[in-house]
Amino acid sequence: MKKYFTIFALGMMALSTAAFAGTTATNSNTVSPTLQISATVQSAVQLTLSTGTAAVTHCAVTPTGGTPDYTMNFGTVDALGINAGNCNKFAPVTPGTTNAIYWSDYNLNPVFTSQTTTNNTITAQVTTDFAAPNNIFIVRDSANSATVPAAATDFTAVSTATPDTIVTNAASGSTQTRFIGVAVTPANGVGVTGAKSATVTFTLTVQ
Amino acid sequence: MSFRQYEDLRRTHLPVVKSGGKVCGASIRRPLARLFILAITAIGLSKPATAQNGTFTVSAAPGGIALAAGGGGTLSGQFGTMNALGLGTPGAGVTVIPLTNGALYLTHYQINISGLPNPHLGAVTAFVNSNFTHPAALIMQSCPSSSTCNASGNFSAISLNAGAPTTVIPAPGISNQTVTVGLAIFVPDNNGAASFTGVDTARITLTATDTTNNKNFATAEIRLDTPVGETVQTAVRLTLATATGGLTITPGADFSMNFGNVNGLGFGPGAGLTTVAAAGGVVYSTPYVLQPSFSAFRSTTATIKTFVSTTFAHPTVLILRDAAASAGPYNNIGTTAGTATQITAAAADRSSITRFLGLFVSNTNGATAFRGSDSATLTFTMTVP
Repeated sequence: MKKYFTIFALGMMALSTAAFAGTTATNSNTVSPTLQISATVQSAVQLTLSTGTAAVTHCAVTPTGGTPDYTMNFGTVDALGINAGNCNKFAPVTPGTTNAIYWSDYNLNPVFTSQTTTNNTITAQVTTDFAAPNNIFIVRDSANSATVPAAATDFTAVSTATPDTIVTNAASGSTQTRFIGVAVTPANGVGVTGAKSATVTFTLTVQ
Repeated sequence: MSFRQYEDLRRTHLPVVKSGGKVCGASIRRPLARLFILAITAIGLSKPATAQNGTFTVSAAPGGIALAAGGGGTLSGQFGTMNALGLGTPGAGVTVIPLTNGALYLTHYQINISGLPNPHLGAVTAFVNSNFTHPAALIMQSCPSSSTCNASGNFSAISLNAGAPTTVIPAPGISNQTVTVGLAIFVPDNNGAASFTGVDTARITLTATDTTNNKNFATAEIRLDTPVGETVQTAVRLTLATATGGLTITPGADFSMNFGNVNGLGFGPGAGLTTVAAAGGVVYSTPYVLQPSFSAFRSTTATIKTFVSTTFAHPTVLILRDAAASAGPYNNIGTTAGTATQITAAAADRSSITRFLGLFVSNTNGATAFRGSDSATLTFTMTVP
């Protein structure tokens, strides 16, 4: 009987394969643990600006890494268009009466993901205007297109009250060329000269 | 009582055993009855060894393995099934302690010394008189009476040399009393040519010495061969662990990992994540660690593969990718067992393999866009050829 029991026990051990969890097994040469991976997908939007490439010369769009996000410097300007500025200019049609325009091209790069629609707009608004006496103000290309402006009349003041739509339904990841500048009026008086700055806020909305 | 006296007494009392309401004669022919006698012997009787001035009795300890008194003045038992990773439930009366290079299977037994004249003391030594035939796979160890015998550090290999035995009850010894000592088998990681699976046996001789007159007064033998012996099995284990600087891997059923909030632009990766540019979206990447262990195989290396056994509910938005380096390249992980991605074909025992898991997040918009939570399952398979 002892002999039979021994044979039986050996047989049982030879046939058995034990797996104690997905990570371990005995009397086997393979094991298959699993890894469950979870994630929550969120929508995302991104709008970046960069230096233009369309016009003859370009004022650099410089990211600051802080606030404001970008800066652009038109250099020294005047209402008669005598100074060259840092990029392009249109001299006043009627010196002493109409404005001089110093301008540059720039690029908008909208990117958005996981949006249920691709409908979108990019607006621009002067959120911090030049200080009084406001003899200089921000202008944009009236056409809201990538066509290089040909004259001072191709520019329109950027609103300080409500956002101006400058791009509609751009493809995500595309580059949109637009034009921005400063108009210098021939006004005279206290405070019309010196360094001045304003802030334009661009807003990308996908909906 | 000397051993011979004990044997005489046992023979006197054993011939009549009441079993199952029937009286069995001394000449027992029924195998079941023989087994019953064997069990009664194991439970109720201990084995006094040959004595000159004192008595030396070896017996099973409470909670230890059964030791049956066998013929020829021996005690027999077994540790049962074992493996070098310490997996599974050990045999009755055996405790397993997994170690970094194997597993220690330990038990306890008792030694009683009596009949020594005062103030004589008795010490006990042991040596392996018949070692396992696969000494690279099974190593006998002992723990002396001076230790608690509950930790691997209490045990040491038993000498194979009768002339230099291992101390069980250290000198100067003990007076007439019972002490508990430890007996263990170390099963080391053992792959390659010396690997072994199957049954093996060993025998240990215990010698009691009267340390007052320096005379050996008794011996006993423990045979680890009954009813089968020690059975060594192969063992495999594959675990995942958090890598330094990587996403936390949480043990569960079996493991889980949460990438948290992700988006198609790679904004704001969570702790432990980095982003890698990819066409059509972005890859969130994390290192993780694979920890293969295996023993008793002829091969010293294993193959590890993985595949997506449960895909994301939005499989075009979220895709799992694999890379050997943080910067990539990241390749889609196969979605069937047949197309599993091979991570390595040379995984060593108890090694740590750092790998990179990428979660591709699509930047798709419109009708096929998805926002919300999703999950998938990777199945890793380690095979030792």
